[in-house]
Amino acid sequence: MNASVTVPIVSMRGVGKSFGTQCVLSGIDLDIRKGEVVSLIGPSGSGKTTLLRCMNFLEAYDEGEVRIRGALLGYRRNAAGALVRESERVIAEVRSPVAMVFQQFNLWPHMTVLANVMAPLTLAKGLREDQARSVAGEALERVGMSAKADARPPQLSGGQQQRVGIARALAVGPEVMLLDEPTSALDPELVDEVLEVIKSLSRGGMTMIMVTHEMSFAAEVSDRIVFMEKSRIVTIGTPREVIHQPEHPRIRAFLQPWIRRSLGNAAAGAAA
Amino acid sequence: MIDAALLGQLLPEFGAAALRTVLLTLVGLAGGLVVGFGFHALRETGWRAARCLYVAYTGVWRGVPFLIHLFIVYFGLPSAGLSLDPFAAAGLTLAVYGGAYFAEIFRACWQSIPRGQIEAARCMGLSSRQIFATIECPQALRASLPLIASQTILLMKESALASVITYPELTMTAGKVVSEQFVYVEPYLLLALSYWGLSLLVNRAAGTLRAWSALRETPRP
Amino acid sequence: MNAATLLERLAAYLPVLLQGLATTLSVAVAAILLGFAWGAVLLGLSLRRGGRGVLPAAVRTYLSFFRGTPLLVQLLMLFYLPSAYGVDLPPLLVAIVALGLNSAAFQCEILRAGLVAVPAGQIEAAASFGMPPARIFRHVQLPQLARAVWPAVVSEAVDVVKSSAIISVIAVADLGRSGRQIVAANFRPLEVYVCVGLCYLLMTGAVLWLGHWLRTRMERP
Repeated sequence: MNASVTVPIVSMRGVGKSFGTQCVLSGIDLDIRKGEVVSLIGPSGSGKTTLLRCMNFLEAYDEGEVRIRGALLGYRRNAAGALVRESERVIAEVRSPVAMVFQQFNLWPHMTVLANVMAPLTLAKGLREDQARSVAGEALERVGMSAKADARPPQLSGGQQQRVGIARALAVGPEVMLLDEPTSALDPELVDEVLEVIKSLSRGGMTMIMVTHEMSFAAEVSDRIVFMEKSRIVTIGTPREVIHQPEHPRIRAFLQPWIRRSLGNAAAGAAA
Repeated sequence: MIDAALLGQLLPEFGAAALRTVLLTLVGLAGGLVVGFGFHALRETGWRAARCLYVAYTGVWRGVPFLIHLFIVYFGLPSAGLSLDPFAAAGLTLAVYGGAYFAEIFRACWQSIPRGQIEAARCMGLSSRQIFATIECPQALRASLPLIASQTILLMKESALASVITYPELTMTAGKVVSEQFVYVEPYLLLALSYWGLSLLVNRAAGTLRAWSALRETPRP
Repeated sequence: MNAATLLERLAAYLPVLLQGLATTLSVAVAAILLGFAWGAVLLGLSLRRGGRGVLPAAVRTYLSFFRGTPLLVQLLMLFYLPSAYGVDLPPLLVAIVALGLNSAAFQCEILRAGLVAVPAGQIEAAASFGMPPARIFRHVQLPQLARAVWPAVVSEAVDVVKSSAIISVIAVADLGRSGRQIVAANFRPLEVYVCVGLCYLLMTGAVLWLGHWLRTRMERP
């Protein structure tokens, strides 16, 4: 997997966030390079989802800086150098290279699948109907959902809905895709079809940041793994360093159940 | 514009009238809770006759305006042998009218209890009566408090109609002052403020009650 | 009082009651529509600047007042206060306006609840793709609003029909007043007012049925 060595697409320095008195992120330093696939793993409550949501300002971070392609996201510095909240319009502009895939899909149930994918193009990017239709059609083709273009989300399975969600994010032509536990809300037998799509996107060179509990998958597609615990980044490393041969005792403890299951599967496979 | 001295003069009279409004509302509340709970408990027995009676009661009593109920009781019943004074008529009508709403509130709150809890209790050998008393009642009644509070405010607003059958509560008192003294602004101002204040009071009391009941729910170590 | 003459009497009541019923229905329909339009405007005003500022606060005061004071009081104020300053308004107009202003307060809350009912995730997704709030409202929230608010809107319509019964106190010739007229002539209050009650029951039942029928039509894809 080739990652170009230039200005990072997403850059976070000293980022912190609290909900009231509860600190959910502190001291986050992270750079994402173009073409990279980075997975965020860790126990629940560690702050991984909040970190992801700070990258497109769905959560407003309290400290530090988040930059998309070098541009400061969500705030600007006033004359005194302090951070001041930016207008919605500027925020939308800065975060336009970033597209998100949600755990709960968040499709719009009253629109057809095709309309769902076209909506951001016509209503936010200002494309014409016919342009939007062809771009949307391609995106649906890419995830294998062209046949269902006229169906409505409630008529689809979870896996199908999530693939539409991925198509919707693809259609806007993003430079970075954020995936927030894309398979956590799916029944087990539907998980694979979504993982396949994500895998093919990563092979195509898409920059992706993913929060996931699918350890094997994360190890397979990621360039780097970020392990978080209790609002901080504990370690960043390659899949081998973090998942396959974890040195950190806390990471080992976290991965125990998965390791046991994988060994169990391997043993079952060997016995068969 | 507004005669403050007049306002001061009217206060005692309005104060007494407000007390009568409150009294009438309380009668409607207490009576309604009893009647409503009675019909609800009857429905919970599961007998078909009870269910039919419940549907008839809640359907008919909630489908007819309160004013018409008042007319039937105050003007109509005497010809059938039952003559009531304005307070008794208004109180009785309000209680039975409110009962239909309270019955539905209880029904909704009972339904909000997860079926799994009932099933678990049944598996462990509890009788229907025990389940009703120890599992359903505590939870459902607590859940019903906010709904009962808003229904009380509705009852208080309906009590204004008792003025039409000459019970000297707030609305009738205001009307009396208007027709006797030919002033409009001060009495109506006091009238509106009285009801508004009372409803805010009920909301505040309901909030305190809810906080108190939530506190009792927190587990002790 | 044998059955034949009872039927004859009922037949005699019918034309008078139907006239009153027509007035009641037209007032109710006008008030419901007025309430919806004004309620939607109120909601729009209350959402300005994220709920801060003079206008949203004024709307909140309006809602608190119209929901916290009796409709009868609002009707009387609207009718008598202008006449104190020499402005004489036609009772029918006052009735519709009072009912409409009152209903608007409730419909505003209903519409707000409907907006909130659209899952936040869908709005978040739209925002994350850069859709401006106006477009999100028009394309994501509004289409789903109808389904969310329908039961409450039907319930409010039933309430307006029932509340309209009080307009007889300001001399509007509605169903209740028709009943009073008949009673003044034949002195059979119980019988007549029960008929009036049945007429209201039919009206509210019809509204409920209509609401149910329209809902099933909406659900069809």
